[in-house]
Amino acid sequence: MSTLHLVRKSAFTTNDFAQCLSVLDQQDAIVLMDDGCYNLKHPLMDSLIKRANSTVSINVIANHAQARAIETLAAVNKIKMNDVVDLTFNHQKVITWQ
Amino acid sequence: MISSDTQEESNLAQGNGLAIINSKAPFSSDFGKDALDVALIFGSFEQKISLFFQGDGVYQLIAKQDGTLVSIKDYLKTFSAFEFYDIEDIYVCQQSLVNRQLDETFHIENVNVLASVEFGLALNRHQHVLRF
Repeated sequence: MSTLHLVRKSAFTTNDFAQCLSVLDQQDAIVLMDDGCYNLKHPLMDSLIKRANSTVSINVIANHAQARAIETLAAVNKIKMNDVVDLTFNHQKVITWQ
Repeated sequence: MISSDTQEESNLAQGNGLAIINSKAPFSSDFGKDALDVALIFGSFEQKISLFFQGDGVYQLIAKQDGTLVSIKDYLKTFSAFEFYDIEDIYVCQQSLVNRQLDETFHIENVNVLASVEFGLALNRHQHVLRF
């Protein structure tokens, strides 16, 4: 049972991203959208990327990050909003963190 | 003489006008736009006003943003009108920038980056505070 996590809030003001990471499973996927893009620069993101043999797919909505002048990371896939539709079909559940 | 003394006292009691604290990121809520509207209204009535950017509010000042990419009318561009409204006291919390790995490159001029203690002191000089 894999889950798609839609992260929409900045971890600098809310605990949502930390809570998301605490329930994250190996085959899950994360999409950073809206203010969730700010999490690219959060220490929690470093720990997520460095997590040993992680198979978690990490994605960011490219134009949401670009609008906020946030640089994306090599370990994070840049996707478009319509790619999220495919992701919702590829996972059994969706959790929106907002 | 007595009248001038009372005048001076009343000026001191007035403190340093109005402070507006911006604490929210720019595109996901209306708080930033509302704070801007309040600032420009006070400015057009020649009221002394200072702007403080703290927490996620510092994202409002970062250069190279483009709200049109997320279908938002980019009110941040209006920040460049501050000088015409005599809004010259703009303060940013340095710790908030450091936490977010942001450098001190802003889309407006004359921004004062202050360490936490000085930021607090500058805020406490004001008689009235609105937080958005």
